[in-house]
Amino acid sequence: MCTYMSLSRQTVPLSLLSGEHHHAVQSPWFAPVVTLKTSAPLRAEPKKKKKVDPRREQLLRDRLKKKLRRLEKVPPEYIPIEDFITPAKCKDETRERSTPSLSFEEKEGRALLLKEWSHYKREQHMAEVKAIELALEAQREALEELKLESEELYEAALKPDPLLFPFSHEGPVNTPPKTQYDAPDGKYNDITRVYTQ
Amino acid sequence: MAAPFRRMASRPLLQLLSCFSRTATRNTGFRQFSSTSLCRATLQTDCVTERASSPWTLMAAVCLQRLPVISADDTPIEQQFRQLMQQMELEKSLFSDHEIGLLEDAERLRRKQSNSYESDEEEDSRNQDIVLTQDLEDSWEQKLKSFEPAPRVRADVDKDLTSVERCLADSLVLLAEQQVGSEKLWLLPHIQWQEGETLRQTAERALASLPAAGFKATFLSNAPCGVYKYKLPKAVRTESSVGTKVFFFRAILSDSGPPAAPNSSFVWLKKSELQQYLKPAYMTKVDRFILDL
Repeated sequence: MCTYMSLSRQTVPLSLLSGEHHHAVQSPWFAPVVTLKTSAPLRAEPKKKKKVDPRREQLLRDRLKKKLRRLEKVPPEYIPIEDFITPAKCKDETRERSTPSLSFEEKEGRALLLKEWSHYKREQHMAEVKAIELALEAQREALEELKLESEELYEAALKPDPLLFPFSHEGPVNTPPKTQYDAPDGKYNDITRVYTQ
Repeated sequence: MAAPFRRMASRPLLQLLSCFSRTATRNTGFRQFSSTSLCRATLQTDCVTERASSPWTLMAAVCLQRLPVISADDTPIEQQFRQLMQQMELEKSLFSDHEIGLLEDAERLRRKQSNSYESDEEEDSRNQDIVLTQDLEDSWEQKLKSFEPAPRVRADVDKDLTSVERCLADSLVLLAEQQVGSEKLWLLPHIQWQEGETLRQTAERALASLPAAGFKATFLSNAPCGVYKYKLPKAVRTESSVGTKVFFFRAILSDSGPPAAPNSSFVWLKKSELQQYLKPAYMTKVDRFILDL
């Protein structure tokens, strides 16, 4: 304690002497309040924070946006067409039937029947085409006659009928419909898979 | 149907003159005013003068068809082919889940009968829960038998010519007995055309004017599908009426309405039966557009 006191007594007059000539601070313990703002370490740090951090944050945001854009540019996955994917059940070998071998006569019979069928179907088709051609010819004649009669009616006949479509007609069924038949409600669970892109 | 005929409107007049040779008065009356570039007002006034000069009376008739309700029976070759196809498809196919269930049940039964009873005690508790596929099949067959479908062919209804329900496997055409000149003939229902309406409206009127007819039909187009023209006998022929042109319009029956009284003068016929009722010249013209497909 006494040595410290002696030291302090010795140093103080030195500092006081220097302090009269210089305004700069020699030791931090005796620095006046005014010079706090102007000291070098205290001056530099807050300004550095203001510059770098917003820049860094902006750079981060830009990088994130670029990554997002790259991810979005990737084309979306195709929706799988379920009809084209054979289910694993069909490739099961235990499900194969034992095919009986056909006799020669049976093979011949089948080939002949197929030939007859193609002939029959061709006849049917030609008859249909002929019938349609006849009907078209009849209509053409009718329109010619109508044109000779009156131009106005002819023009009216050529106009398409907007009220005709949508036109629907129930096709032929196996058994005729029963009058006063209460059909039971069919309940079903729809298990179709819906894909979204 | 109308699309391919638009080309006719743009044919030059010279071609028309050469194609259709008509009486001189008719020609001049027609050629002066016919041109596709005229405006509507002149056409209407000219139409009146034109119609006045034409010696043909116009009529519109409706060809009402009831399309088949049930599928036609198979011809012998069709039956054979159907059987062959079913057999071939069966040979080429794989086992279905139901068939595999049947096979497994058969296996299990065989094992149960052939093996000793020791292993069966374990299976018994399981078998009580399992439903045999054969039982399922039997229950389905029972349900099918409990449903009775309506008979396909009813002989008594087929003979009744006025009923719409006859011959459900074929398409039927409506014929009406109407007064033509001095005699009553069986033909497609027609009516005379009036001024100010299109031929299709005339045909609709013809259908509606049938006695006791509650038919609802869909007319298929504005254009006629056929024409029949006949000249009046020379005794009745005058300057202004040489004959009649009947334009046919096709319609499909959508609702037959209440059943008609037995004395009504119309009849539903198949195409093969039309020969007996129609006159030969009429039949040849009408035969072309009545499709029996």
